[in-house]
Amino acid sequence: MKFSSTSSRARRGLAVLATATVLGGVVYGLGPAAANASSHREAPLVAADPAIDNTDLYAFVSPDRPDYVTFIANWQPFEEPNGGPNFYPFATDAAYNIYVDNDGDGKPDATFRYTFQTIDKRGNDTFLYNKGPVNSIDDPNLLVRQTYTLESSFNGQPFKTRIKDAPVAPSRVGPASMPDYGKLRDQASITLPGGWKSYAGQADDPFFLDLRVFDLLYGGNLSEVGQDTLAGYNVNTIALQVPFKDVALKGDAKRNPNIGIWTTTDRGRVRMSGQPDASDNARRDRVQVSRLGNPLVNEVVVPAGLKDAFNSLSPDKDAGIPAVVQRVTDPEVPRLIESIYKVPAPAAPRNDLVEIFLTGITTKAGGPIKADLNSQLNNADVDASKFRPSEMLRLNLSVPVSKNPNRLGLLAGDQQGFPNGRRLTDDVVDIELQALEGAALTGKLVDALAAGDKVDANDNAFSDKFPYIALPNTAAVNAKAGKTGAAPAPAPSTTPAAFSNKDSTASTVGYISAGVGAAVVVMLGTAFLFVWWRRRTMVPADDTLPL
Amino acid sequence: MRRPLIYLGVPVLVAVVLLLTGGVLGGHSRPAAAPVAAPTDRLADSIARAQDRLRTLPKDWRTWAALASAYVEEARVTANPTYYQKAQGAAQQSLTLHPDGNVDALVALGALANARHDFAGARDQARAALAVDGYSADAYGVLADAQTQLGDSAAATDAVQRMLDLRPGLAAYARASYDLELHGRTDDATALMRRALDAATDPHDIAFCRNQLGELAWQRGDVAGARREYTAGLAADATSVALRRGLAQVDAADGHLDAALAGYADVTGRAPTPGYLIEYADLLRLVGRPADAMTQLSLADAAVQLFTANGGVDGLATASLDLATGRAADAVTAARAEWARRQHVDVTDTLAWALHAAGKDAEALGYARRVAGTGARNASYAYHLGAIEAALGQRDAARADLTRALTTNPYFSPLEAPVARQLLTKVGS
Repeated sequence: MKFSSTSSRARRGLAVLATATVLGGVVYGLGPAAANASSHREAPLVAADPAIDNTDLYAFVSPDRPDYVTFIANWQPFEEPNGGPNFYPFATDAAYNIYVDNDGDGKPDATFRYTFQTIDKRGNDTFLYNKGPVNSIDDPNLLVRQTYTLESSFNGQPFKTRIKDAPVAPSRVGPASMPDYGKLRDQASITLPGGWKSYAGQADDPFFLDLRVFDLLYGGNLSEVGQDTLAGYNVNTIALQVPFKDVALKGDAKRNPNIGIWTTTDRGRVRMSGQPDASDNARRDRVQVSRLGNPLVNEVVVPAGLKDAFNSLSPDKDAGIPAVVQRVTDPEVPRLIESIYKVPAPAAPRNDLVEIFLTGITTKAGGPIKADLNSQLNNADVDASKFRPSEMLRLNLSVPVSKNPNRLGLLAGDQQGFPNGRRLTDDVVDIELQALEGAALTGKLVDALAAGDKVDANDNAFSDKFPYIALPNTAAVNAKAGKTGAAPAPAPSTTPAAFSNKDSTASTVGYISAGVGAAVVVMLGTAFLFVWWRRRTMVPADDTLPL
Repeated sequence: MRRPLIYLGVPVLVAVVLLLTGGVLGGHSRPAAAPVAAPTDRLADSIARAQDRLRTLPKDWRTWAALASAYVEEARVTANPTYYQKAQGAAQQSLTLHPDGNVDALVALGALANARHDFAGARDQARAALAVDGYSADAYGVLADAQTQLGDSAAATDAVQRMLDLRPGLAAYARASYDLELHGRTDDATALMRRALDAATDPHDIAFCRNQLGELAWQRGDVAGARREYTAGLAADATSVALRRGLAQVDAADGHLDAALAGYADVTGRAPTPGYLIEYADLLRLVGRPADAMTQLSLADAAVQLFTANGGVDGLATASLDLATGRAADAVTAARAEWARRQHVDVTDTLAWALHAAGKDAEALGYARRVAGTGARNASYAYHLGAIEAALGQRDAARADLTRALTTNPYFSPLEAPVARQLLTKVGS
């Protein structure tokens, strides 16, 4: 129940008290809550701060530009496209970062830093976003606009500005206000020297899933899945396309095709002493407030008591936290699944999961998976002695673009898909659900999970050109009658690769057997439940609660 | 001591009934509705979503804790204390479902304890939360609030710095700003609140930042600046009681007494807290309506007794009310008791002023000097020190401190500022 704020409420509350008083001291025991103390300074504790909230990271070889890698990073989930005064700026006091580690030491070798500025021409007369139709990116009818600066740094060198005052595509506040949003999108998709492409602005949330699968953890069931919980919502997207040579070790993606990617949001450090710490360098003068690499990480890799710590860590610190490693090797979710569906949990320690989350799939780190796919350890010029297990999304750039991407990615033998990077169409939740089905160790399917979350594709079609993501939605989600869920799946495969006759295709990095695919699947499956639960719903006092 | 309200006696009941009938409260004119839909109330939305979710998933301990925290926020922004019990229930439910390592619930309970003035309890909850998760910025926020109110300035600053180091953002900036303000660094405090305002998107958060900026402008006597902030804040959130009170305060300073009285009538109608009621009474006395002023003080008395009768302890409110009604000895007793519990600068100042009212200026001086030693730039504190010094015949010191009060903010109190001026003339001659 939502309480409206009325001036009579306080009086009504006291009326109840007074009545109780008259009726004989029933007020006793209500606690001091029943009346206001004198006011002292009270500040917000769980302030709404969604603009810095990382939600998803995608990284893939560009289908239309095979020598370029595309990074798509999203922030601020659950943007309701109901127009009016609600719009969703990037934070102007934060930096949004995309990092690439190509030598496996857990430290960035390439950093792409986006910072935003707001130009607000509303004055005191209105809090509306626009005062008429917005027909171009610089239309004066758009009263609040943002621009951004993109800087980059390679191999620890100082940052260089790649572009300033680049336009941000606005929040799409409806067809009347923005009759041709595609045009605005195009104008905001810019090409920079060096062949880079960059986009910052709103988009349809490309992630598709039914969040209700996560209700399992709280005594729910799977009977109600099949609705794309994120359908209709928008996010703020940063998309960047750069040539392989700019991110590969020694600029040589042929010898060194493997990279690790993660994103962060940070803010400037504030010191109460007013005295800058002389020992601080520029990097330490920022405070990392959010971090995201693999979509599966937060509750799977990170113990509950360390989730705040994890968001503040740089990847090179991951392996130094025993609790993180222990959480990976002895995960909680399989036990939960066992208790509900009687599927025995694979025996710990799960060194297979370490490979997925912390090292990349490689034979060079002592892990159980007999394949070399996407670890920096497989780069020819790597210094293996400096390798640090760390959590990031790993991508082998030399795996060619799949002609027919399979939503189940690696598990269906499509090696270009998750967990080798992540494409927009990869059905990450079902990959994990299929992992449970596949149950390569048991050979037994989990019937209750057989259909996964029943959401196999995004509600809006992706584009075949940069920035690939779908245009923002315009219809208010909560006004939609009878949300029916996802579009039909593109040829869904319900059979894990391990049980299919399809062979995986050979790649330049080696042959991934169907068995390996299945093993990967099982590992991931153990992890599936928690991920977006944390990312999407566990921000308190925020509208990201899923219902 | 807890005792049923029924024993409080007839005068209180009369006051409560007066409070209910609204007859004495004047018109509750509300700002006209904006011509277009207001931005989403994220807080109300988050409460509604959590409630919906818990109806279908009552074992979701995380959402119970999130709901508890949201209720504490709602109590703050609406000044409606009935949300405290809802918060208590939700947090307890979360703990029952998940007793071990439940940081979210511990933080919610800590925030609730702070809101209810159980600052020592809040400090303990925060420490319990930090024992589970030493990286919880929210837990450091609870700890900072508690230590600030308990008067442990160093521990408060340390907690604020840790919060800033973990999660810079509005919640941390706000606490840092207040900490700087208490140390007299008003410019730094203002700069930080500007930064918080720049980052704020939620209407309640914008209102909060504007109110703090208005308060900071007010403290340095910048009435026009304060008005700008309060007005801008009300444009973002027309329901904010704190902003409405700020506007009434600057109306009074600008001599718009009718507007100020209407403002206080609205404020006290919506949030009948002792502090607001006493300020309203001051204003009524100023315009020559002593009977109406007494009515407001009766209401304040009722509010204090309601709070006390239900187990709350707020010696600061009790002492302030005693001072406003001329019961100096009672004020000293209440202020001493509160000061034994916590040494926040407001409590120290109130104790000094109560001792002065009771004629114990020699003892009062020590506390008033202690207040000055914090560096806080507050006209009211300086006036109290100056008046105590004047009573002790320390003319030079009195002249300096009274001058400081009146240059810091010549409008600091509609009743006391004129007295300060007279006193300055007296000691200056």
